[in-house]
Amino acid sequence: MKILVAATALVATVSGVYAQLSVDEIVNKANEAAYYAGKDGRAEVEMKIIDKSGSTRTREFTLLRMNAKGGSQKFYVYFKKPADLYKQVFLVWKEVDEGKDDSRWMWLPALNLKRSIAPGDKRTSFVGSDFVYEDVSGRNLKEDKHELVETTDTQYVIKNTPVDPDSVEFSYYTVRIDKDTFLPRKAEYYDKNGKLYRIVEGTKVETIQGYPTVTESVVKDLNTGGSTLNTFKNIKYDIGLKENIFTERFLRRPPREVTR
Amino acid sequence: MKRLRITSFSIRFPWIVIGLSLAIIVFFGAQFPKVSFDNDPENMLAEDEYIRVFHNKVKAQYNLYDFVIVGIVNDEHEDGIFNVGTLGKIDRLTRELISLRQNADGNPEVIRNGQPYAPVLESGSAWERGLAKVFGNDVNRLFAEDGSSAIIAPEIISPSVVDNIKQADRGQLAIEYLMEDVPTTREEALIIRDDAMNNPLYKGTLVSEDGKAIALYIPIIEKTYSYNVANLIENLTAGWGDSDQVYITGQPVAQDTFGVEMLVQMATSAPLAGLAIFLLLLFFFRRLSLIIAPMLVAIVSVVATMGLLIGLGFDVHIMSSMIAIFLMPISVADSVHILSEFFDSYHKFRNKAETIKHVVGHLFMPMLYTSLTTIAGFASLGTTPIPPVRVFGLHVAFGVGLAWLLTMTFVPAYIMIFVRTKMLDGLKPEETEDHHGLLGRALGGLGRVSYKRWKLILALTMITIVLSIIGISKIKVNDNPVKWFTQNHRIRVADRVLNDHFGGTYTAYLTLKPEQIQALTCAERIDAMRNAAIARFGKTLPEASAIFLQILDETNTKFQSLESADIERCFVDLAETAKGLDEQVFGVWNDLGDEINYLDPEGLTYTKLSAAIANKADEATRKTFAKRMAQFQSLEGEDLQNQALDIVDEYAALSFVDFLYEARADASAPAFKRPEMLAYVDSLQAFLADVPNIGKTSSALDALKKANFELNYAASETDERNDTFYNIPPTPSAVSQVFTQLEGMKKKDSLFHLITKDYNEVNIWIQLKSGDNTDMVAVVEAVENWMAENPAPVELDVGWAGLTYLNVVWQEKMVAGMMNALLSSFVVVLIMMMVLFRSPIFGLLAMIPLTVTITFIYGLIGWVGKDYDMPVAVLSSLTLGLSVDFAIHFLERSRELTKKFGNWKDAIWHMFQEPAMAISRNAIIISIGFTPLLFAPLVPYKTVGFFLATIMAVSWIATLFILAALITGLQKYLFKNKESQEV
Repeated sequence: MKILVAATALVATVSGVYAQLSVDEIVNKANEAAYYAGKDGRAEVEMKIIDKSGSTRTREFTLLRMNAKGGSQKFYVYFKKPADLYKQVFLVWKEVDEGKDDSRWMWLPALNLKRSIAPGDKRTSFVGSDFVYEDVSGRNLKEDKHELVETTDTQYVIKNTPVDPDSVEFSYYTVRIDKDTFLPRKAEYYDKNGKLYRIVEGTKVETIQGYPTVTESVVKDLNTGGSTLNTFKNIKYDIGLKENIFTERFLRRPPREVTR
Repeated sequence: MKRLRITSFSIRFPWIVIGLSLAIIVFFGAQFPKVSFDNDPENMLAEDEYIRVFHNKVKAQYNLYDFVIVGIVNDEHEDGIFNVGTLGKIDRLTRELISLRQNADGNPEVIRNGQPYAPVLESGSAWERGLAKVFGNDVNRLFAEDGSSAIIAPEIISPSVVDNIKQADRGQLAIEYLMEDVPTTREEALIIRDDAMNNPLYKGTLVSEDGKAIALYIPIIEKTYSYNVANLIENLTAGWGDSDQVYITGQPVAQDTFGVEMLVQMATSAPLAGLAIFLLLLFFFRRLSLIIAPMLVAIVSVVATMGLLIGLGFDVHIMSSMIAIFLMPISVADSVHILSEFFDSYHKFRNKAETIKHVVGHLFMPMLYTSLTTIAGFASLGTTPIPPVRVFGLHVAFGVGLAWLLTMTFVPAYIMIFVRTKMLDGLKPEETEDHHGLLGRALGGLGRVSYKRWKLILALTMITIVLSIIGISKIKVNDNPVKWFTQNHRIRVADRVLNDHFGGTYTAYLTLKPEQIQALTCAERIDAMRNAAIARFGKTLPEASAIFLQILDETNTKFQSLESADIERCFVDLAETAKGLDEQVFGVWNDLGDEINYLDPEGLTYTKLSAAIANKADEATRKTFAKRMAQFQSLEGEDLQNQALDIVDEYAALSFVDFLYEARADASAPAFKRPEMLAYVDSLQAFLADVPNIGKTSSALDALKKANFELNYAASETDERNDTFYNIPPTPSAVSQVFTQLEGMKKKDSLFHLITKDYNEVNIWIQLKSGDNTDMVAVVEAVENWMAENPAPVELDVGWAGLTYLNVVWQEKMVAGMMNALLSSFVVVLIMMMVLFRSPIFGLLAMIPLTVTITFIYGLIGWVGKDYDMPVAVLSSLTLGLSVDFAIHFLERSRELTKKFGNWKDAIWHMFQEPAMAISRNAIIISIGFTPLLFAPLVPYKTVGFFLATIMAVSWIATLFILAALITGLQKYLFKNKESQEV
């Protein structure tokens, strides 16, 4: 017993000296950097869904994001292309408090239809791409146990193991976080057999209005050979979005912030 | 004598011959470890065969895999399969299969109850384990070379991992797995049943309509893993108890199982047949040392042939696995003739060398020719378009040639060394009295019948032939690899049970794509848009629509003058104009709308709202708005806001920009986003539903209609209203938006098994209840006829793929190929016979027994209703080779004896002594020798066993009776002719 205690203490000391920051601090900072920059923000996204044969489907949408109370956030996704998805809208209220589910709505203009979607799995594909909803809105930190497994000159490597392994398709994933910006740059997902099967990567970073921002990201599905490339343009932070545009009323009549 | 040269050499230097034979065995035997097996009927077609290329293209295009189908049936529980216990087991099995991985020892391991569990997959029987070892069939082979699982886990179809779209609480739409959580109560289990039954993609495919069965589809990376995956599943479900019956089937499993059992047959049936032949030889000749020679000839020929096949790098296929069975009787036959003669003539010479020379001397020509004809028969298979049959035919031909050579050399050498003279001297007389006498007397009697009653015999022959021809006309060309198993084989049982419960376990894919991708020119698009614009705006906004039309026309002229107008450009130009027009016509209303939209509904009253818009838009617009709002002034908050927006929308909704986007989406919509094309698929599926043998069809349309229904479903509305949405959405954009929901389901891309990502091609998955080629052909014809009568809105390219369809293609090729092979070898053999007998009439006579035999055999197949399948087709060559042998021996000896005794009447008595004896012995040995095949669990082996016996019997009768009767009738022509020739 004594030996065990001593060993634990030793590990704690070593990692403490080594990392200076605690794992939780790193993870929190990374989460802030990746998903909470500014009070709000807007970006135009071009999404290329590429399958293993190389054929590509392109989608363009405008993304609005606003930080609300207590870490919750609201997202408004407005499609511009392809022509047959023109004006389609997704609205998401992301909740971080325990026991609270996200809310999701969609607007399908060609069907003149507004539907609320039950809070389900957040790891479903985002409009048929290799990104899942969680990639777009961020995974709740409380859902994983975090360990700092490596620190390089420029990056922290965090291993994240789900608290509830049955809730997700991976057994764990590692994230490489840049030391200087705290932006997560590469997440690698391992399946239940320990095989790497999915990589999400921030491939380009620019500093916009003082916020280091990923302007190009790629997700690769090693099982299907498919990948999705997101390019972010016209990024603006702190544009003063009103919270009421993230409501059902704005599904049918999109706000000026996305149409202009 | 020239013909005796090799035999004389063998008599003089027997040890050299024995040594060479040993060398052959060693050399070819050394090739055996290189063996590789191929039990894939797909390989009946050459790899570059169009249909195979197309089949593989379809598989790649739609990400389709071969499936192991696991059926679970519960007849005992009142809710069938939908009870807490069974669904729990299904979920656990699914998770275990998903978790399949290689453990540290390289053995398969699954996660069971959260713990690694390595199932013991080897058979409990030492015999089966031994066989598996010998044939390199490793049951633990469940991983690709990189160590990944043979099971494509993300594509498994099981209630735990298939999408479902359904209504959830509070009017929400839920997108989740069909069995998102394992049920713990009966109510929860029944909800899963109802959800499954309400999904057209699952009812009849995943769950049976009676609720008693469920089918899991386990996709595998390659067909060759299917036996092992089936074995794994059997192991994992071993403790399930009696109420949940597990059945495993699917074409890949059937094929792979067949392959594995084929090996067992190779290892048991062929040696058993060899043993039976050996015992019969022993019975006839009584002397072990004497009959070892034919057995050795058979063994050397078989080993050398198989060694050659393996050495040349060919896979052992279902056909080539039967090489031993075909070669054995043929190679034994020649040596039996020699032995039989040797046996009967030895007392004349009392000297082994002299006897051999005498026997070989006078059997040389008939034996050479019997071998040549057999070779011709089998070599003709080399002309068929089916690679495994080609390989089989040519190798058997090689084996026959080798057997002949061995008979001429090895048998004499063997007699010289191993047969002791004392034994021959001592046993001779006793032997003659015993069987020889019994069989001989019987034969003598038959000879007299043939002579005296020749007219009756010929009349009976004619009747038989006529009946046989009628039978042949009834032949049904059909094959079904699953039917290669006997009725009670577990694969057949599973096949029956599952096809009883489900839409069908046989798969065919019907793919449709437009012959040309429609690319409308700018002018055409503008023209279409013009009409649509008049319809939409003409009445309500005459002025603005006039402007819009004018712009359309201008754009049209502008782009018509350009040779290569970029089609997207014409929209870009229009978009700017439309935007301006929108601003002009609806701008004020949109300003108003926007302002109202952004208001905080909290505590909103009409007064506040009016104040907010006081400076927006223009006065006229505000007035109109105020007038319309008059009756709603008492509303508050969100209700007021929504009402106000509805009114604004009435004026602002007719946007030219929106119209343009819509027109653009419509004009550029791929074929299967167009409602009219989808409606065509719908009516095709409706037609298919009534085609016999089709259990079910599934297409992207089923998913589309279901999703459209669920999306539009509103609990507050009537069922009639909701049901109208169980339909194709009205516009390409609407179709597209529903499809986009399906693209984003939990199981990503499952939609794209049924439609391509560009929505230009669809794949209709057809489940057939029968894998019979005839049934598949009927389906193809039905579809062709229907499509001819009901042309699609645009011309379609129709393609068929799937294993069931592939079988049809090779079957058709085989029938035509075999027919050609049979005819060409018939002609070759006829010419050989004419040359051999130096007489056209004798040549024709020699063909009579085989013609009668083949006609009879195929007539019999027709009458009995046995399908003309691959083994049956190949039998024609065997018949040709074996039947003609008897005739050659018979005719050769008849001519000889007639010459010797001066007339046929005297000769026939002798004919029915030694020569008939040799023929009969051969016939009996081969017929009875192959009876062990009848006990094989695989139908093709049974077929071959049965027909080999029948062929022998019929050829024997045809030779001894019909030929004798014919000679009797034709003796004047035959022998007069001959004598004049000889003189």
